[in-house]
Amino acid sequence: MREEARLSPPGVIQPTAAVAAVGVEKWYGVYPALRGVDFEISSGDFVTIFGPNGAGKTTLLRLLAGALRPTRGEIRLGGAPLDYDEPAWRARIGVLSHQTFLYGQLTAAENLRFYGRLYGLAKLDGLIERRLAEVGLWDRRDDRARGFSRGMQQRLALARTLLHDPELVLLDEPYTGLDAHAARMLRRVLEQLKDGNRTVVLVTHNLAEGLELADRVVVQVAGRWVSDEPRSAIDAVEFEQLYTARVGGAE
Amino acid sequence: MRGFVRQLLTIAGKDLRLELRSRERLVSMMTFAVLVAVVFSFSLDPGVEARTVAGAMLWVTILFAGMLGLGRSFALEREQDAMMGILLAPLDRGALFLGKLIANLALLLATEVAVFVVFALFFQLSYWKTLGSVILVVVLASVGFMILGTLFSAMAAGTRLGETLLPVLILPLLMPVVIYAASSTQRLIVGRPFAEVAGSVRVLVVFDLIFLIVSILLFGAVVEE
Repeated sequence: MREEARLSPPGVIQPTAAVAAVGVEKWYGVYPALRGVDFEISSGDFVTIFGPNGAGKTTLLRLLAGALRPTRGEIRLGGAPLDYDEPAWRARIGVLSHQTFLYGQLTAAENLRFYGRLYGLAKLDGLIERRLAEVGLWDRRDDRARGFSRGMQQRLALARTLLHDPELVLLDEPYTGLDAHAARMLRRVLEQLKDGNRTVVLVTHNLAEGLELADRVVVQVAGRWVSDEPRSAIDAVEFEQLYTARVGGAE
Repeated sequence: MRGFVRQLLTIAGKDLRLELRSRERLVSMMTFAVLVAVVFSFSLDPGVEARTVAGAMLWVTILFAGMLGLGRSFALEREQDAMMGILLAPLDRGALFLGKLIANLALLLATEVAVFVVFALFFQLSYWKTLGSVILVVVLASVGFMILGTLFSAMAAGTRLGETLLPVLILPLLMPVVIYAASSTQRLIVGRPFAEVAGSVRVLVVFDLIFLIVSILLFGAVVEE
């Protein structure tokens, strides 16, 4: 792996960057989760971030989503720093986590309607139909989410994530708890995100799933990006060996 | 402004819809209220006229029934981390607070109707002569109760101690509201004129306004990290 390959100097952000971090640190009390991360991600890129437990991957994703504020540094969306007091930019981001953010007592359609209203979406019925059809759940629209299998819940969560057509999609371990069939179905839907218009950041432990869709592959260890390479420069077998050697020690 | 109102109604509507489906909070609050009335009816000395202590009995019941409901106020948001989904939406934190407040208040008011009816049946209380004034006092005190309750239940939901912590946080701050509410309700039930409780009503209004302003200012910080 080529170390520190594509890291930009702090503060130098390309105007085309869909999302960027400038000197971002995040501390939980005295514990550092991120220790000075600088990067930019171009519009339309699919970036996969690998890393061991405790590497700060979820913290990074939550910072990019605006759910957390950095202790130092800043996150920029489309070149502008996130303004945490002005919520409009949040409509440009969609987050899919291993937690679905869904209400089990609401039906699939009701869950999407609830989130659609929070995002102030117009023509919501049509949008709900389209998103549920995309994830293969239109026929189950009136069933409560609690009765869905884990895979179906995750597909419904994906429909929720994409309901407002976000330009930046953040995926936090979306394959957790899915069986092979459900993972295949989810991958098929995620493939559709690679339309060149949407920027996607995927955080995962799963090397095979993570490499499958990525344009760019990052390894994060102990709150730092230790490797950042284009997918085309990576041999999957060699990467797996090097990753295991590097990350095994960290874990 | 329309977006703000739409968002708060969306939050309140979701909470009420979920409650109507599960009836989890309403059933526990109302069951508790009826049980308290039963206990009071057996423990009250026959020589004591119930209406002379009704204010205290009613507000002790309302206070603890309300606490029972507040403990579960953010439970559904915890289930699949739905609170994170809500916080990631372009949602004004004030709208989120007011939406949760409206839902909590609606459940408390529904419980209070049951409490007043049950106590009227058990203790032969009559509210008719001063019904409007009683409703005013109960609504004002309930608003203050639920403003603080919504803020502190959000705070407690983010801690490991959760529901155990809630009464410890909220009861000391609520005491003035409960005292003014109980004393005013008591006087109105025994037939005293509204003028006698007008001062207490004004104090309740001031408490509500202070609680509301402080809670809206603090709520974002409470739920975000």
